[in-house]
Amino acid sequence: MFFYYLDLAWRSIKKTPLLSLLMVLAISIGIGITITTLNVYQLMSENPAGDRSDKLHGVQLWSQGKDAWKEFNGQVTYQDAYNLRKSDVPVRQTAMFVTGLALQTEDPDFSPLLESVRVTDSDFFEMFSVPFLYGKAWDKGVDTEAMYQVVINEDLNKQLFSGENSIGKTLYLDRKPYQIVGVTKAWSPSPLYYDVTTGAFKDSAKLFVPFSLAPIEEYQSWGNNQSWKREPINNYSQRLSSEMHWIQYWVEVQDDKQRDEYAEWLTRYVEQQQLIGRFESPEAAAKVSNVEQWLKINEVVPEDNKILVGLSVLFLLVCLVNMLGLLLAKFLKRAPEVGVRRAIGASRAQIFSQHMVEVGLIGFGGGLLGLLWAWGSLSMLSAHFDLEAALTQLDLTMWIVAPSIAIFAALIAGVYPAWRICSTNPSAHLKSQ
Amino acid sequence: MLSMKNISKVFKTDLVETHALRDFNLEVKEGEFVAVTGPSGSGKTTFLNIAGLLEGFTHGDYFLDGVNISNLSDNKSATIRNEKIGFIFQGFNLIPDLNLAENVEVPLRYRGFNSAERKRRVQHALEQVGLAARMKHLPSQLSGGQQQRVAIARALAGEPRFLLADEPTGNLDSMMARQVMELLEEINRAGTTIIMVTHDAELARRAQRNIQIVDGQVCDFTMYQHGAVADKPHLVAGDKRAVEPSSVEAEEATS
Ligand SMILES: Nc1ncnc2c1ncn2[C@@H]1O[C@H](COP(=O)(O)OP(=O)(O)O)[C@@H](O)[C@H]1O
Ligand SMILES: [Mg+2]
Repeated sequence: MFFYYLDLAWRSIKKTPLLSLLMVLAISIGIGITITTLNVYQLMSENPAGDRSDKLHGVQLWSQGKDAWKEFNGQVTYQDAYNLRKSDVPVRQTAMFVTGLALQTEDPDFSPLLESVRVTDSDFFEMFSVPFLYGKAWDKGVDTEAMYQVVINEDLNKQLFSGENSIGKTLYLDRKPYQIVGVTKAWSPSPLYYDVTTGAFKDSAKLFVPFSLAPIEEYQSWGNNQSWKREPINNYSQRLSSEMHWIQYWVEVQDDKQRDEYAEWLTRYVEQQQLIGRFESPEAAAKVSNVEQWLKINEVVPEDNKILVGLSVLFLLVCLVNMLGLLLAKFLKRAPEVGVRRAIGASRAQIFSQHMVEVGLIGFGGGLLGLLWAWGSLSMLSAHFDLEAALTQLDLTMWIVAPSIAIFAALIAGVYPAWRICSTNPSAHLKSQ
Repeated sequence: MLSMKNISKVFKTDLVETHALRDFNLEVKEGEFVAVTGPSGSGKTTFLNIAGLLEGFTHGDYFLDGVNISNLSDNKSATIRNEKIGFIFQGFNLIPDLNLAENVEVPLRYRGFNSAERKRRVQHALEQVGLAARMKHLPSQLSGGQQQRVAIARALAGEPRFLLADEPTGNLDSMMARQVMELLEEINRAGTTIIMVTHDAELARRAQRNIQIVDGQVCDFTMYQHGAVADKPHLVAGDKRAVEPSSVEAEEATS
């Protein structure tokens, strides 16, 4: 029967193309807007760490004084990072920040590029599952005995070495020679959960250098530098011994037991620092958060976004009310035909189903067109409002979500008109012929 | 086959109550051809709609084929309409967007026949009314008489035991009307019980049995032998409209 209803629905749609188009348009606009906001929301709230989410933890220390911020900060001081690295509880750990360096090759004709560079430890690559095309991370020894080594990404490797294996070649960063030890495959988690300090939806860096080089090369921080204390910072060594928060710190633990063990270790660390006069606030403490908690703490999905999704659903409702009116007009015009069908043996349920199939088909059309709107508005958003590309891609699941929502919404709008037409007395219209 | 006892039907609209049928009693036997006449507004269509399960009734008992019709579910009465009853209307009531074959196929669809069975029955029914060659035509491409024959084919396709016709010749000229009447007689000879409402006294006389409805009641009925009767049936005194139904009235009855 379904295919019979589908056939009838298609004929009916073709018979009143303008009215049908209007209904498809009404629903598609509602769906388009809903899908646009839903898409942004979904991409924002994705947890890119997957099943490693419970192992990776961001570290926060309440190292600020009494009259400073009344909350944990997302970054730590250099001296704390330096001390935390000495813990042997976590399986892996890394301190890191972003800097900017002038990049040159051995080719004298190559004009220097200013690139952002992540300064980090060798564990970074394992911890955040960075895939390698050639080579690997620098040795663990480099994290303590600094060496001029660098990991670059696939894009840069293409740009500089036309994609060939460049392991062992030399790059110049701020005129210093660095040896390439690894080339990562294209990789860019979204949100960029391990560093949300300057916006969670940017691309990962193209170059990575050892954290141990920071005190030697005096890399400037291109990220957030947050100070709560008045203190002179005129040179790099003053910066390193300051109370400024500018380093991200992440650890990887095996399981919850090890996480608790590490939390315990941190508590002792805080106490020890209090003994030597730091961590003055009575609220001084340490905190570890897994990726999911981290994304929540840092409000990677802004509250506004939820409101936006809510508003767009309201708008969809308005579109549906519109559609309901059009459907009612369309269906009631067909009362005589329905009267005949009822007289020659169609039950109310069959008439109801026939009309619901028609409504569903219109909804399906609206869903597809709505996807087109969503795609259009997302590209417009990215073109005019400079939104990060990661947020304006139409997620693949939307190809299922959009038609499903559209059909479901249309069916809801269709219930009343379909019920009206199936419950009118057939004889009323047969008589009038 | 059909048995109505003390049926009454009241239409309530706003403040007006219309007693369309009152204390209506009728028995129809298997295989009968019954012609129903009566003045416009007397309740003929109402009777036919109740008989065909298109409308409920206010009081009384109605048995069709031994089944008590009073409290049937919508599904059950739809099934009975589909399997046992065929309808023919004055206005043909073909679905304009469907071609002839598709129109005839409609009741078969609801009956759940497979496509081969549907095809066979559509072919057979259209052959019976002599329109098999025009299967793919739309109703609007046919004359009134042809459209009514398609409607008859549609009613026949489900092989009903019971054919209800409400002024089937009302919109046709006399020659086409006679053709349709002959077709109905043929169907009746093959065993189908027919109840036909008509304004045409001449056609009514060709039926096996005539009943007359006046003011919502069966006023009188007389048995006729085929073709043997010349006189008009006995009528209630004073009801002149029923004696000589004019064509103007026939129009009226349809509105
Ligand atoms: N749906 C309805 N609502 C109100 N009154 C109705 C309705 N259908 C029929 N009637 C009334 O019932 C009476 C019988 O109508 P009907 O059965 O159509 O007569 P006939 O077919 O003999 O001309 C008329 O007075 C008519 O106005
Ligand atoms: Mg009538």
